[in-house]
Amino acid sequence: MKQKKKMSLLAKQSVAGWVFLTPATILIAVMAFWPMIQAFIMSLQTGSSANLQWNDPIFNNYTRMFADKVFLRSVGNTFLYLIIQVPIMLILAILLAQLLNNQHLKFKGFFRTCVFLPCATALVSYSLIFKSLFATDGLVNAVLVNLGIFEENYNFLGHSASAKAIIIIALIWRWTGYNMVFYLAGLQNIEYSVYEAAKIDGANGWNTFWRITVPLLKPTIIMTFIMSINGTLQLFDESVNLTNGGPANSTITMSHYIFNNSFGQGGVSNFGYATAMCFFVFIIVAILAFINMKVGDTRD
Amino acid sequence: MKRRVLAALMAGAMALSLAACGSGGGDKSSGGGSASGGDDNTLTVFAWDPAFNIPALEAAAADYKENVNPDFNLEILEQAASADVETAVTTAASAGDFSNLPDLVLFQDHYIQRYVADYPDTWTPLGDIDINWDDFSAEKLDYSTIDGEHYGVPVDNGTVICAYRTDILEQAGYTIDDLTGCTWDEFMKIGKDVHDKTGKALLCMNSDGNDLPYMMLQAEGVSQFKDGKPYITENETLVEIVEKLVQMAKDGTLLMPNSWSDYTDKAIQGDQVAGVMNGNWIIPTIEKVEANSGKWEITSMPTLSGGEGYASNGGSSLYITSNCQNVDLAKDFLAKTFGGSTTTYDNALRDGGVIATYAPAGETEVYQEGVEFFNDQPIYADIVEMGTHVQIVEQSDYHYSARNYVGTAIVNIINGADTMEALQEAEDQLNFEMGN
Repeated sequence: MKQKKKMSLLAKQSVAGWVFLTPATILIAVMAFWPMIQAFIMSLQTGSSANLQWNDPIFNNYTRMFADKVFLRSVGNTFLYLIIQVPIMLILAILLAQLLNNQHLKFKGFFRTCVFLPCATALVSYSLIFKSLFATDGLVNAVLVNLGIFEENYNFLGHSASAKAIIIIALIWRWTGYNMVFYLAGLQNIEYSVYEAAKIDGANGWNTFWRITVPLLKPTIIMTFIMSINGTLQLFDESVNLTNGGPANSTITMSHYIFNNSFGQGGVSNFGYATAMCFFVFIIVAILAFINMKVGDTRD
Repeated sequence: MKRRVLAALMAGAMALSLAACGSGGGDKSSGGGSASGGDDNTLTVFAWDPAFNIPALEAAAADYKENVNPDFNLEILEQAASADVETAVTTAASAGDFSNLPDLVLFQDHYIQRYVADYPDTWTPLGDIDINWDDFSAEKLDYSTIDGEHYGVPVDNGTVICAYRTDILEQAGYTIDDLTGCTWDEFMKIGKDVHDKTGKALLCMNSDGNDLPYMMLQAEGVSQFKDGKPYITENETLVEIVEKLVQMAKDGTLLMPNSWSDYTDKAIQGDQVAGVMNGNWIIPTIEKVEANSGKWEITSMPTLSGGEGYASNGGSSLYITSNCQNVDLAKDFLAKTFGGSTTTYDNALRDGGVIATYAPAGETEVYQEGVEFFNDQPIYADIVEMGTHVQIVEQSDYHYSARNYVGTAIVNIINGADTMEALQEAEDQLNFEMGN
């Protein structure tokens, strides 16, 4: 009879597990999930944020965004950054990691620090530095004109194609080192003996890279891909600080446009519409991450 | 052992931070809780420009302290930018908790109608305040008066000035009189000559700022809105102005820097322009280049068919929030400083370059003095005088959105888009945003 009152060892462990989990679960539910639900409700509403009304029809904010030319442009811009910047950055990162992983390289620590250092700069400050570098009377113009490549100063940030290119260059500069660190960590987990074996079998550098390094780094590559896609879709600081979305909204990103609809544009705060756009971004991120995981899944 | 110490420290830090969170939310008297003044003689206010409106508020506080209430204390809570005040109001009103707002806020004129419409609970109407409203420029009051009810007391003056470098004009064979009351076509011809002979632009606008079309439109007495609807493609005056601006940009008469800071720091202070057309609050920016002292003069705007044009751009007023615990003191303070004291305005002008829209202020000695930087021209009296001519045009909650879309259209047209198509897109986008 006494036995019944006491819990079995398994049950005890289970209870202890729940007890440990509860605080975190409650915090996540209150701090993350509840706001998400609230945000979804808000995305169905319209009007001043002090007096939100239900939309009629209820999904008006969602249908509205597909007729909004500026929003569509911002989606286009964001995907342009994504498609051009992420592959270039990741390839550069993997090459740099490969170089810096060389066992015979001297001053390895110094070079690694150099490549990683951009990540230590704040997003706003590096945006402002790029802005002044590429200003009409900035350093880049001075160098190009003095070298005779350009005849007169070019307004890089005043033309849509060059402004986009500069955002991409800035992003590559800022994030390559960050991704390289993941690859370096991944590379260090690959036994050197594997490479030695390949060498004995007569594999050249190209083959070793594609047949050994890349497959063994696959989980890291997938992780960096998901993180980069996620980060690029939420791109904000560069668009705001480097170009302020201009010229004529040609470099604006989705997050920047969402911000403009909440706080930016002349006090016209439309939280309902802004949250609806947030959910659109959320869905895109989820879809892309899902595809990425399916493609990269090595389990049969 | 080490690890244990570390763990204990971490746990301690966490407990502390949690405790800090708790007290911050619950205890209002512990700093940060309420921004409203504590005692009977203190008022708090949000303002943002330490070189401009903050000295003006200090002048008002000193005036009130000396002449009305010796125990008075005005606590100025400095914000980084005017947008921070707007964000503070938006967040407070969205949450329905006004306790973080001060007693008074300085608020931009173009935004206030929208904010009163969206967040009516944030504001305290001035009601029976003891101010003779006839002393103020009607155009300025038009912003802060909503449904016949006064909400704000004007602080500064947004009257547009056209400042020109007389030495550069002279090199091109012109004087400032040629630019006073001229047509825009004449202006463009002079601008082209100035650019050809000196390489400087006669006009300047940051490409994401787009305030020129609005000012030019107001000088014609026309608005971007008609009966609450966007008035763009069918607005022949607007179309003509846009065409003129595009032509000027192509001629090199109109310089278009990328951002506001490029506009002030590079175009104006970097000596790239021979003329500046903006609200008179731009004067302190121009005055920063001491080497050009005595070379500038100001006049009114050109118009499409000739004759002097007047407009107003920017400017702000003081508003009482609903968090104000001492409305009587706030009203009395406003009435006896910015609402009717030439002492306040004289000192505001001296310390911060803030020009009044209060007519009696323009008659004081301080306003009549010649300003050395502007070739001893009595610019302040001139500006107050110009301010009385500014026409009231239809305002809208979507003022800045309209400006943005028209500005975007101008950039697109300069880059080769068709004028009417670009303006049609601007109108569509604005209609879309307004939900029409």
